[in-house]
Amino acid sequence: MSFYRYSLPLLPLPALLLALLADPGWRLELPWLLTGGLWGMDELRQTFLLLTALLWLVAGIFAVGYLENRHLRRFWVFWTLTLSGNLGLIVSFDVASFYSFFALMTFAGYGLVVHEGTDEANRAGRVYLAMAVVGEMAILAGFLMASNAAGSTVLAELPPAVAGSDRRWLIMLLLLTGFGVKAGLPVLHFWLPLAHPVAPTPASAVLSGAMIKAGLLGWLVTLPFGQVSLPDWGNILVILGAVGALGGAALGVFQVRPKTVLAYSSISQMGLMTLLVAGALAASEQFAAIFAVVALYVLHHGLAKGSLFLSSAMSLPAGRWQRWLMWLAIALPGLSLAGLPFTSGAMAKLAMKDVLKPSGLDFPLAEYLPLLMTAGTIATLLLVWRFLWTFGAGARTGANPPGRWLGWASATVSSLLLFWWLPVPSGLPDNAGFSAMQARAWSLLWPVLVATILAGVTWQIARLRK
Amino acid sequence: MTTGVLLPVLALMTSLLASVVIFALPERMHGVRVLINLGAAGLKLVLVGVMIWGIAQGREYEVAFEMLPGLRFVLRADALSMLFAGLSGVLWLLTTIYAVGYLEDSPNRSRFFGFFSLCVASTTGVALAGNLFTFFLFYEMLTLSTYPLVVHRGTEKALKAGRNYIIYTLTGGAVLLLAIAWLHGLVGDLPFQAGGHFADVEEALHGPLTIIFVLLIAGLGVKAALVPLHGWLPQAMVAPAPVSALLHAVAVVKAGAFGIVRVVFEVYGVSAAHALGLLSGLAVVAAFTIIYGSVRALYQVDLKKRLAFSTISQVSYIVLGLCLLGPVGVAGGLVHLVHQGIMKITLFFCAGNYAETLGIHRIDELDGAGRRMPATSVAFTLGAFGMIGAPPLAGFITKWKMGSGALTVGMDWVVVVLVVSSLLNAAYFLPVVHRLWFAEQRTPWPQERRWGRLETSAWLIWPPMVTTVFLVLAGLLAAMPFSPLNWAGLIVMREVAL
Repeated sequence: MSFYRYSLPLLPLPALLLALLADPGWRLELPWLLTGGLWGMDELRQTFLLLTALLWLVAGIFAVGYLENRHLRRFWVFWTLTLSGNLGLIVSFDVASFYSFFALMTFAGYGLVVHEGTDEANRAGRVYLAMAVVGEMAILAGFLMASNAAGSTVLAELPPAVAGSDRRWLIMLLLLTGFGVKAGLPVLHFWLPLAHPVAPTPASAVLSGAMIKAGLLGWLVTLPFGQVSLPDWGNILVILGAVGALGGAALGVFQVRPKTVLAYSSISQMGLMTLLVAGALAASEQFAAIFAVVALYVLHHGLAKGSLFLSSAMSLPAGRWQRWLMWLAIALPGLSLAGLPFTSGAMAKLAMKDVLKPSGLDFPLAEYLPLLMTAGTIATLLLVWRFLWTFGAGARTGANPPGRWLGWASATVSSLLLFWWLPVPSGLPDNAGFSAMQARAWSLLWPVLVATILAGVTWQIARLRK
Repeated sequence: MTTGVLLPVLALMTSLLASVVIFALPERMHGVRVLINLGAAGLKLVLVGVMIWGIAQGREYEVAFEMLPGLRFVLRADALSMLFAGLSGVLWLLTTIYAVGYLEDSPNRSRFFGFFSLCVASTTGVALAGNLFTFFLFYEMLTLSTYPLVVHRGTEKALKAGRNYIIYTLTGGAVLLLAIAWLHGLVGDLPFQAGGHFADVEEALHGPLTIIFVLLIAGLGVKAALVPLHGWLPQAMVAPAPVSALLHAVAVVKAGAFGIVRVVFEVYGVSAAHALGLLSGLAVVAAFTIIYGSVRALYQVDLKKRLAFSTISQVSYIVLGLCLLGPVGVAGGLVHLVHQGIMKITLFFCAGNYAETLGIHRIDELDGAGRRMPATSVAFTLGAFGMIGAPPLAGFITKWKMGSGALTVGMDWVVVVLVVSSLLNAAYFLPVVHRLWFAEQRTPWPQERRWGRLETSAWLIWPPMVTTVFLVLAGLLAAMPFSPLNWAGLIVMREVAL
């Protein structure tokens, strides 16, 4: 049994090395594979791979101290398969490989969702699977049409072909829907707040931190970015992103379980990332700059969310000082999500504000983007406070197994410190660094303060009514 | 030249002779029988392998002689024959191994294996037949040799299913004979040939040819289980598991589908059949069968019955593929002849293992079986995912090729059929997979047998393991030379003439 336990952290190491060492121009041709395989690396995928491997690593460490011996082997099998799918799809450059890894991740992920075997987990699993299968089918149909239009199964050839196809809207609808299920797009998100929380905590962390991003990557590599400006699609996605960002928060603050609050927070965050996708679709000449920001956002959110999910299973120490320190370490990645200055979130928020300036985007709803981003920030922090509130209400006091300590601590350190040394995508806006944070501190801080005051007032009211 | 004549005859004779010898052997000579069975199956595999290699190099294998004036008996190995003969050769060997383990200590094994070999000989004949007359001979021989296998258990239920089976298939055979005779009277003996015979046929023949086509398809459609001619198939699953496996994967349903392939490609020709407006009708029937079979499968509580309805659905993929008019889609349909075979035989092997080891027949008894029988359950899971069309397994290649082919020729509705069918496949297979791995065993197994450290008899484990490897590799390595897909492409290039 100890093999199944202790090998978990080792599994993502090769991918981590690949992410750190592979040259962005790396290609691997596998002509005998499926319909002709092509794997490789580029800047966008490098960031995705880095985040994904890192998150599976810290979650794997955490799992060592989390899992019980019961059904450990089964968990190991599904963990390994899901991990392979999640990492493999990132380096896939051809349709069949990408779709294979994506499906592997989806179907093996079911094993993680229902692992606990409770009625609740099985129910969540059913919803997960039903929606995932529908998503897979939409992706299949979309891929068939796109690659038929392109006359090729190489992913890079799809966007121009989709852009020029006379059935562009249908292909885009299918791909947006199919990958949207994974990305938690509003209306397609129902499975997410059910499935992410019922999984064992390390699995929740990768589901919400890494696997959700696979849907986003699916969009980025198949939709016709940089080919034609599609303001209509931009408008639609702005609306969906706004509904996700604000609606996710509105539903999330009423949840009573910490992990469910975090799942809604993921929907909300994916809504914000959808705004970026909207901008990139609507303004084709901006897409490269926006992609860099998407990658940055993905890295930031994945690490922060991973740390938050892992902290939900930590016990608090008994000593007063240690307790406060622990609270701080748990809260900081959350505050980072809301863009507290000198966190990864601040960098992501500033960069996002920069590329989504209405002046650079020419489509009707673009002028609402700054407002939406600010509202999104407030919504994000409300959810974080709600998470801390529910977590504190149910938190146990006591010691944590070493694996949990190490996993959670490395996730938190990655999110707060290591982030600054990780390779970030090139082409980011200049004024998102430390000096910009000082100069623009107020613009970052006031939404934080507003949300904190709101949360504090609500908390007081709730206490008084008791 | 001599090997050109000899090889197809030998390939046929190996199973035929094995059958005769086995009938002659006394019941108790178990070891000798197993030896003859496996020896013949192995030998045939070698012969088919040699022919496949030769055909890839462009060699020809043909035997023909006149039985009656104007009525020729033709055995000919072409790329299409080899697709079917290769499948039946490989699966015969595996099913024989499986059957030896499955029927351990049961009575009448001599009779069983005799007819079993005869059935495979008929399949080989169907594959190698060079004209409709020869095809018909072996097609009927197949009916007669499978009947004793279906009723092998001798129970009331088995006899009833057998009666049903023989009524359906003999009626189908009669219709087929009528159509062949009519065609013969109309235009004489037609050897199967690339591109068919009716590329430019006079107007006066259009009417009769249309009716004959409908009759041919109706006759063949009984075995291929096209709705509404499918009634015999779900009942016939009372047969022992190896028989169901063979019936569903190669022998009977495939003989029907293969006959339809021959008629469309090499008697009528795709373009002629299309010009006569026959293919759209066939496509609609196939599409309806695909959906109907899947919907019915959803409602079955018996595992083998669910698999049977799934077969009805899946075999029609092949028929639908023929109607896709373009090389890609047609190759997708053809390759499913092999893909469906290896996937379905895997599933039936597994169903047999559950029944034989744990006494499980109903789906709700499978709770927790994955823990007790991991190897079998892995095979079942992969087979099920293959059927759903999940990449990178064999079924995905079929769906991908058929889908691309359909889009290329503007038959977009086929993609809808594929998607709906996949959704239904997922709906009736995934709950079974969930039970295997994630449900806790609630009641003791209905009838458990133990085989020491192994989960079940080694004879029963290995065949599904091998077919599982096949169904993974057929998808994963689809772009390799001699993969089923590659071979289907060769057939399209050489024989379909699109």
